[in-house]
Amino acid sequence: MMISDTFEHLKSGLLELDMDAAVDAAKSIAGTGDTRAVKDAVDTVTDALQTVGKRFQDGDWFLAELVYVGEISREVMNILSPLMEAGAMESAGTIVVGTVTGDLHDLGKNIFINYAKSAGFNMIDLGIDVPARKFVDAVKEHHPLALGMSCLLTSTDMEIGKVVEELKRQDLRDRVKVIIGGAALTEQFAKDAGVDAFAPDAVTGTDIVKKWSSP
Amino acid sequence: MDFKERILTALNHEEPDRVPVAGFILSQGTSNQILGKPPADIAAMLGNAELRSGLKDIMNSTWPEIVNSTLADWFEAAIKLGFDANWTIYSQMQVVEEPKFKHGLAMHDVWGRAWELTVDENGNTDANFVRGLCTTEKEWYSWVEKNKPLYDELIKNVRDHHKKMAENYGDRILAIGSPGTGVFDNTWQPMGFENFCKFVYQKPEFIKKVIEFQTDLLLRHLNAIMESGVEVVVGGDDFGHKTGPLMRPEQIEKLFGDSYRRISEAVHSQKKKLLWHTDGNVYALLEKFVEWGFDGVVSLEPTAGMELEKVREQVGHKLVLVGNLDISYLLVRGTKEEVEDTVRKAIKDAAKGGGYILSPCNSHSAIDPTRLEWMIEAAHKYGKYPIAI
Repeated sequence: MMISDTFEHLKSGLLELDMDAAVDAAKSIAGTGDTRAVKDAVDTVTDALQTVGKRFQDGDWFLAELVYVGEISREVMNILSPLMEAGAMESAGTIVVGTVTGDLHDLGKNIFINYAKSAGFNMIDLGIDVPARKFVDAVKEHHPLALGMSCLLTSTDMEIGKVVEELKRQDLRDRVKVIIGGAALTEQFAKDAGVDAFAPDAVTGTDIVKKWSSP
Repeated sequence: MDFKERILTALNHEEPDRVPVAGFILSQGTSNQILGKPPADIAAMLGNAELRSGLKDIMNSTWPEIVNSTLADWFEAAIKLGFDANWTIYSQMQVVEEPKFKHGLAMHDVWGRAWELTVDENGNTDANFVRGLCTTEKEWYSWVEKNKPLYDELIKNVRDHHKKMAENYGDRILAIGSPGTGVFDNTWQPMGFENFCKFVYQKPEFIKKVIEFQTDLLLRHLNAIMESGVEVVVGGDDFGHKTGPLMRPEQIEKLFGDSYRRISEAVHSQKKKLLWHTDGNVYALLEKFVEWGFDGVVSLEPTAGMELEKVREQVGHKLVLVGNLDISYLLVRGTKEEVEDTVRKAIKDAAKGGGYILSPCNSHSAIDPTRLEWMIEAAHKYGKYPIAI
């Protein structure tokens, strides 16, 4: 089989939600030991996920499909990543993300991490139930392009304001863009809380940070 | 017209004397405020390991009484506010030590979900679903095996609870009996959404078995509720997120369609009405709800883009619409004018010809009772039939 066919199988495996086909193609490419081919395979995954994101935003694909293709791409990247040459992928920037304190939900956050990672961002995941201090410390440590906060519960949405206030107090607010998402939040809430953007879904969120990355 | 006639008339797409107003599941924080009750000092007990362990034992040994007394508070509060209807709900939980949770206690429901016990700044307790406890096929089967005795206990307690609520409150408010979560949520939540998506593609036979199990259990649950004499039941599955359904509608149909048809038939065979609650943006599923036999849809979350006018345009009077009052801003910190304007618009968009019940689109502890009062006042002001807005 020509290597170009294998790339095609990798792409169709992702876009047709065929885990076995995608993983077999990734193993086959990895087996060549050709770092250039591995880099092209990673680009194929990125392109496929861009297509998936577009399909989702157009209403042709649904969240379950978005989640499953994320699972497939994770498996594929687990095969390809160890073979990539250091520095082969240029980072689009660093994003620190976490779910606010008092909230233990992580589904939306994890989907966002998956998509933003596939778009070339270096993701720092602080996990769930993250206190304001930890968000601020991570901004100081990693100097990210953006800080993402997830919040599913209305009872914890005030935590976002606390983080913004703490960033201001420590003169960090102007150095980082802040994006929020989650069931409890709205565009209006984002304006009131003084953050830069509200993302109704992970794909839109990734599009927003991509714009920030290349103004 | 009394509350019962008002609700049932609206459910038949006829015009009652005025638009009915229903509560949801009131949180303890909201009901305590309405009743002027101070919360029990649970936070202090949770902070002490010995007391926490004692609290856990007490909760486990008196669980049905705890649920009954909490629901009694919700109903007293709903009646005091002037709601025509409110939900009754019984969920079977086991309280366990969970060091990873802030207050050290988790509640495990019989379906396989972990809920975190939370305490708000005023000391009111609540519980939030956090994660599934059956992340593999093996774990799910062993969970079901282990919990077999609890399913019978659940059905017995459900029967007792709803009967008690009907006896104690049936002459003052209409009880809408709810099993809580439905087949969709009871299938995916115990395994987590990521695992569920994986299993749908990789282990379809397993998913089919889980759905069959959850459908049978839900039918037993609903039958136990209906034995109490309730006229209306409300199932609940969160099919939608902010911008659309969680799954492709055709895929939901393939996996769950027969379950929902069985449920509708079971409820209608007893001449009861079946409402279904779902959060999120669900325009793409409204026709499915009609096909499955639901009489109405509850929530219609405005912050997920659900607009009553559009929903009515899409499904006409094939579904009763319940809810649409925002709980992220409007009923938390909206002005009186904003509440009144929103109620007025909801009535204008959905209430003509009956088939609309005004209600908050969901529930949480920050909902302000004063805003609920404004909502009811506005319903009385603008909701008299014939609607003249």
